[in-house]
Amino acid sequence: MAHDLAQNTVDGLMTGSAYAMLALGFTLIFGVMRRLNLSYGPSIMIGAYLGTLVHLQFGMGAAVVALVTVLGAVAAGFYVERLCFAPMRGQAATASMVASFAIWMQLEELATLLLPRHSYPFPALIARPPFEIAGILIRADRLLTLGAAIAAMLALWLLVHRSRFGLALRATARDRATARHLGIDVDRIGLIAFLGASALGGLAGMLVIAADQQITPMFGMWATFKGLVAMMLGGLGSIPGAVIGGLLLGVVEAHGQWFFGPQLRDLLVYALLFLCLVLRAGIGAGVPSAERRI
Amino acid sequence: MEPHLVGVLTNIGMIAFVALSAYLLLLVGEISFGQQAFFGIGAYAAGIGTAVLDLPLGLALAIGAIAAAIGQLALALPTFRLRGLYFAMASLAFAEMMRIVLELTQFQVERDGELVGPNGAEGFRGIRYIFERGIEPAEFLLLVAALLAATLALLAVLERSRFGRRLRMVGEDELLAALSGIDVFRTKLAMAAAAGALAGLGGGLYAHASTYIEPRLFDVMLGVHSLAYGLIGGLGTALGPLLGVGLDIGLLESTQMFAGYRMIVFGGLVAVLLIWRPRGLLDERLLHRLARIGRR
Repeated sequence: MAHDLAQNTVDGLMTGSAYAMLALGFTLIFGVMRRLNLSYGPSIMIGAYLGTLVHLQFGMGAAVVALVTVLGAVAAGFYVERLCFAPMRGQAATASMVASFAIWMQLEELATLLLPRHSYPFPALIARPPFEIAGILIRADRLLTLGAAIAAMLALWLLVHRSRFGLALRATARDRATARHLGIDVDRIGLIAFLGASALGGLAGMLVIAADQQITPMFGMWATFKGLVAMMLGGLGSIPGAVIGGLLLGVVEAHGQWFFGPQLRDLLVYALLFLCLVLRAGIGAGVPSAERRI
Repeated sequence: MEPHLVGVLTNIGMIAFVALSAYLLLLVGEISFGQQAFFGIGAYAAGIGTAVLDLPLGLALAIGAIAAAIGQLALALPTFRLRGLYFAMASLAFAEMMRIVLELTQFQVERDGELVGPNGAEGFRGIRYIFERGIEPAEFLLLVAALLAATLALLAVLERSRFGRRLRMVGEDELLAALSGIDVFRTKLAMAAAAGALAGLGGGLYAHASTYIEPRLFDVMLGVHSLAYGLIGGLGTALGPLLGVGLDIGLLESTQMFAGYRMIVFGGLVAVLLIWRPRGLLDERLLHRLARIGRR
């Protein structure tokens, strides 16, 4: 029993670190733009499909595939930003969200046109058997995910809190109009945040898909909703919050799966999310989300 | 009319109900990712009504609408203070919980030597009311169209009334509306009940048209589509969501236009449309202009 709990927690933290990276990407975009990018997961998926294409057509190894995946996600993110976010000013936040949903449908169809079968193999980053520490099984590629997540979070935190660019980013996130008056190019900041989030998402997606060793067209939806749920669990709009939300989601899912099976696992996660949202309204009533800073 | 056209029009009519329910919530400023849940509740409740309890269709549809309205109120009460993304995610969590509960629900009875009723993830088969009564597809379409027309007429009256103006004020700025003496809480609850009932009515019709429903049909894709229809067709009038549904299902899904590239074309067009008109084709400004021309 104690062993199961420990094993589940370790597994959950490793899966959760990928969720945390997805949540960080969402937080970065939402924090700066106050808009929801539903195409976040599908953009990552386009990157992964391009990676798979390179793998199948040219027999490229894991390193090249990983690079193509991240670059592809950034390219797709650029397209989404230019089409759905940059041209819509002012109060059109809902229009941006719906446009990003329309582009989601577009990207999903593009992916199935590129590779029409239901699933494709994706090269593993590390192909070695799991090892054991104090009786707990650990997969090397999951450990790599955890390591990459920690590195990405530290890098992002340093960038946001210890650089001139980060200062401009925080100013934009806190008050767009004032930031503009101070001479900050808020549109450029938004674009860079968007591309950075896409790169982070591409990295997270690549690690998840490489650990599963396969890709399906459902990945886009999966990544969007896992990232969103993790971000909201952590309390929208802060870097530590996104990380805690992601890890919490991973651990709750691992225990839920082990003790109750997949259906009740999801029920548990959504009940927890619902509770968090409702209670936060009680505590944070009167604090409009626009004042929460990244 | 040819059968294909009847099927398409029936489909447009039924989906229009759930699009209208998302539109009603948008009017009071709430973005819902969860209207599929109330469409699903209506479908299941109305299906149980005719297939299991042997009730007449009209009563079963009413029960479906009422059950969905109660469901939407159960969501609205604890989430009344949530706005924007908070409400959207709470409604998504609620709808996903509802879908999983439907997957776990077993309620079957024997009828004519056959088990009917919800059977978990396997779905709910044998909602054969309109076939057993020999109702023609064209007759069913007429029922859908009549209910939709009545709903649109009701909403048109509502929007011209003082209550309609109150709705848009709440949607525009809740604080300002409250300061002008509007009871924001009651306005939003009334809208939630109406939105739930409309989604439930659409779901009840859907269950009878397709004779088979399963929890997977009521996933978040349906909810986000319903939301998108309002923004495509326009938020200025209740005809907007109907136009959005018509453009998607009628023009693209049914005709074989751009087969294989449909979403690439449609997705791109929607994105460009929203740059040009962020509140849809039939937006408030256009409606205002039309009203001025009409008065002259």
